[in-house]
Amino acid sequence: MPDESRAADAKHVRQHPLKIGVSGIRGVVGEFLTPALTAAFAQAFGTYVGAGRVIVGRDTRSSGDMLQHAVHCGLLAAGCEVIDVGILPTPTIQIFTGSSGARGGLAITASHNPMEYNALKLFGPHGLFFNHYERAELLDIYHESAFKHASNDEMHSVRSDRETPVRTHVERVLKLVDVEAIRARKFRVALDGVNGAGSELSVHFLRDVLGCELHAISVDPMKPFPREAEPKPEVLGDLSALVRDHHCDVGFAQDPDGDRLAVADETGFVIDNDEVLALAVDASLARKTGPVVVNLTTSAVIDDVAARHGAQVHRTPVGEANVVEIMTAVGAVIGGEGSNGGIIHPGVQLCRDSYTGMALLLDRMQASGKRMSELAGGLPKYHRRYGKVGFQHGRLGTVMQTLEKAFPEAQIDRQDGLKLMLEDGWIHVRSSNTEPILRYAAEAKTAARADDLLAAASKLLR
Amino acid sequence: MTQPLRISHVGLRGVVGRGLTAAHVMDFAAAFGTFLADPGPVLIGRDPRASGEMLREGVIASLLACGRDVVDLGVVSTPVIQHAIARGTRRAAGGISIGASHNTAEWNALRFFGPGGTYLSTAEASELLDIYHLRKFSYVPWNEIGKLSYQADAIDRYLDELNIVFNFDAMRNVRVIVDCASGTSSIILKRLNERYSLRMLLINEHVEGMRFAHEPSTSKRVVALQLAPLVVPVGAEAGFLFDLDADRVAMATETGDAVSEEMMLALLADDLLARGPGKLVITNLSTTALLEEIAHRHGGKVERVPVGRQAATDALALHAADEIAIAGEGTGAVMMPQFRFVYDGIAAMFAILRMMRERRRKLSKLVAAYPKYEICKGEVPLVSQKIPALFLELRRRYAGGTQNTSDGLRVDWPRTKERGERWFHVRVSQTEPVIRVYCEERGAQPQALFEELLDLVKQYAG
Repeated sequence: MPDESRAADAKHVRQHPLKIGVSGIRGVVGEFLTPALTAAFAQAFGTYVGAGRVIVGRDTRSSGDMLQHAVHCGLLAAGCEVIDVGILPTPTIQIFTGSSGARGGLAITASHNPMEYNALKLFGPHGLFFNHYERAELLDIYHESAFKHASNDEMHSVRSDRETPVRTHVERVLKLVDVEAIRARKFRVALDGVNGAGSELSVHFLRDVLGCELHAISVDPMKPFPREAEPKPEVLGDLSALVRDHHCDVGFAQDPDGDRLAVADETGFVIDNDEVLALAVDASLARKTGPVVVNLTTSAVIDDVAARHGAQVHRTPVGEANVVEIMTAVGAVIGGEGSNGGIIHPGVQLCRDSYTGMALLLDRMQASGKRMSELAGGLPKYHRRYGKVGFQHGRLGTVMQTLEKAFPEAQIDRQDGLKLMLEDGWIHVRSSNTEPILRYAAEAKTAARADDLLAAASKLLR
Repeated sequence: MTQPLRISHVGLRGVVGRGLTAAHVMDFAAAFGTFLADPGPVLIGRDPRASGEMLREGVIASLLACGRDVVDLGVVSTPVIQHAIARGTRRAAGGISIGASHNTAEWNALRFFGPGGTYLSTAEASELLDIYHLRKFSYVPWNEIGKLSYQADAIDRYLDELNIVFNFDAMRNVRVIVDCASGTSSIILKRLNERYSLRMLLINEHVEGMRFAHEPSTSKRVVALQLAPLVVPVGAEAGFLFDLDADRVAMATETGDAVSEEMMLALLADDLLARGPGKLVITNLSTTALLEEIAHRHGGKVERVPVGRQAATDALALHAADEIAIAGEGTGAVMMPQFRFVYDGIAAMFAILRMMRERRRKLSKLVAAYPKYEICKGEVPLVSQKIPALFLELRRRYAGGTQNTSDGLRVDWPRTKERGERWFHVRVSQTEPVIRVYCEERGAQPQALFEELLDLVKQYAG
């Protein structure tokens, strides 16, 4: 499991009930993540971005409404004007934050974390995640309690706008694809919305906007998540069945805040996320070629796809903010993170967006006339293996050196832990930012070689 | 100098931003959510101060987090909230009024009500304060968080109740001018005009969050300045002036004279003692002695309690409801048994109008029918260390009168050949760092005594 955020899955690893850090705040609602703490953090945010407009929205978690009022309270207390966009996907909130000239935005969502969790995602003036330095400054304001306290004369109101954000988001996505051609195909599409923030928008988008024959489950934002929140293959059985029962061309599954996408082909088989990203990259580069940015743990299939279009691939440390930062720097035309189903298109917004993914894939099917299984099957095949091991303070350097010595022929990348690039595969070892563990991954052209590389890494790391 | 924050038995009150912060609001509301025993919803409403939205959002978040359902009544008067708590179809656990009543715009406050819309007793208020200070709030897990709803008809339901007692259809010809002072009375009286075709002329009826039309005080000085000069030109039979949340009211006669704020309770005591069955008037030590004279005429009695709503609330609880004719204070805050002993300026205004109609008297004649008591009121900044010595000296110097020490010192002298009954009351304010001095005499202005008292107090204070 190379993905940072998979760590949040309580079944796999120990997780603290409250975490306040450079990524914002996240915790178990009630005893740990309290409304008072949330309001204080929002007031720190309002102090940091300044008295102006701030966009606030949330996913469908039952604690969302309560926390949203707490966020409003903190923002108003800092003298901000609040635009309440209600229940919307995180990318929609980010896009509107950027397009509305707001000072910043907040999404109340714990993304793919279990129901009892919630969190704040924080966006700066262009709807982008803050960079590391900005986040540290914000955190200092929070810790110092150095809040702006507006007087009665400096107070603003809460206004609501539920239409503009959705319209803006859909308009931007549609610019990437041939809408009429997609509509003409009348694709038969299955959808698992996990009763998340995208439930209503996804139905509208696929059925009304893209003219698909839609077979949807879990698109009631008033109901709890019917499955594990992260859309990984082992929890998408219902989607696979839906695809098969209705002979759909493709199946889509989202996470609760609509930034991640999982895809099933017409047989109901859930396609590997790295391959989904590769298909999106391929679709995007076919329209316009240019630099591609992915993280270090993303499959080499991206390099092969990019090479077909003569595009260059840039690798970054794991984390959406890191990918976005480099995408800006190199003027990327597409980017993302393989393992977590994140597709980022700068024409929409520099953030992970499941709607961009859906549109690009439907467009690719339309343009190529191929089935989803054929598109995936046309990609060069790689095998990936993942592992993790307890982190021992003080031993990290030794471990990394041992690993490096074991593969003297490897090319080395040290941006995020250690990545050893071999002739026929790679190994990537990095320490998690959220837990005291080392994560490692290996990839190769054959399953046997991937197993060997992982075993070698595993042996040396223990 | 007045401190910008006061946390006491009466609730939370302060200058927003400078003293009263979002954190105070959220903790106090959480304390209230923890304190309430009944499982029912909590009703909230606010006056139009701009900071009210910030307080409302914080109050909602904390109550929901404590597992309370919340019903937001919007911008309404405090009496409307209290009636709605008592009346609701689903038994309410209590309510919170967000508003600072007669204070200027930069202030705001939270006031708390128990089931039935009653003010908290001293014992209950102490418990609430202890929970606030302990900060051990009963936040519930994510799946037990309360639900927020809105109720738009609270004012109509309130008017239904008033109509049963006052029969608004019979008041169509009543011609009064009302100064709403930019407050919530405007919303209620506009609705009343519309629903029952009344012809009340409203001024300063624009509900305002930052710049009130004038100081929202019901003192005779404000009435004389703002309202009295308009009564004759518009040909009204009376003028009324409300504070911001319409719990207090003051009046001016059809001849354009401001009536002493002491007369509101006196007139209504006369009316309600005559109606019966209650024979008891509950008021504080600073209120006019005319009340004893009126009560005596009806074979009734006056019970004097320390100043402040808390003492009146506790005194009310010691009597059966039908023993009490009326309760209130010389500020224009009056509670009537027909209206569940809620300070209600609008009900008081209609009680005065009913009295005029039934007695077929103009307001100036009604007022003139009572013996004249002259009251002087003053205040002196305080140095708290010297207060015990001041009271010792006052007691020594005025040993000749009847002394009551339940709230500072009140001294009464009976009528003599030279002059009528007189009394003074010197006490420490609960809401501001001042010593208040009151002095009243039947038939004449007790100027000499008043100045003597002020001089003495100044030696010990400021």
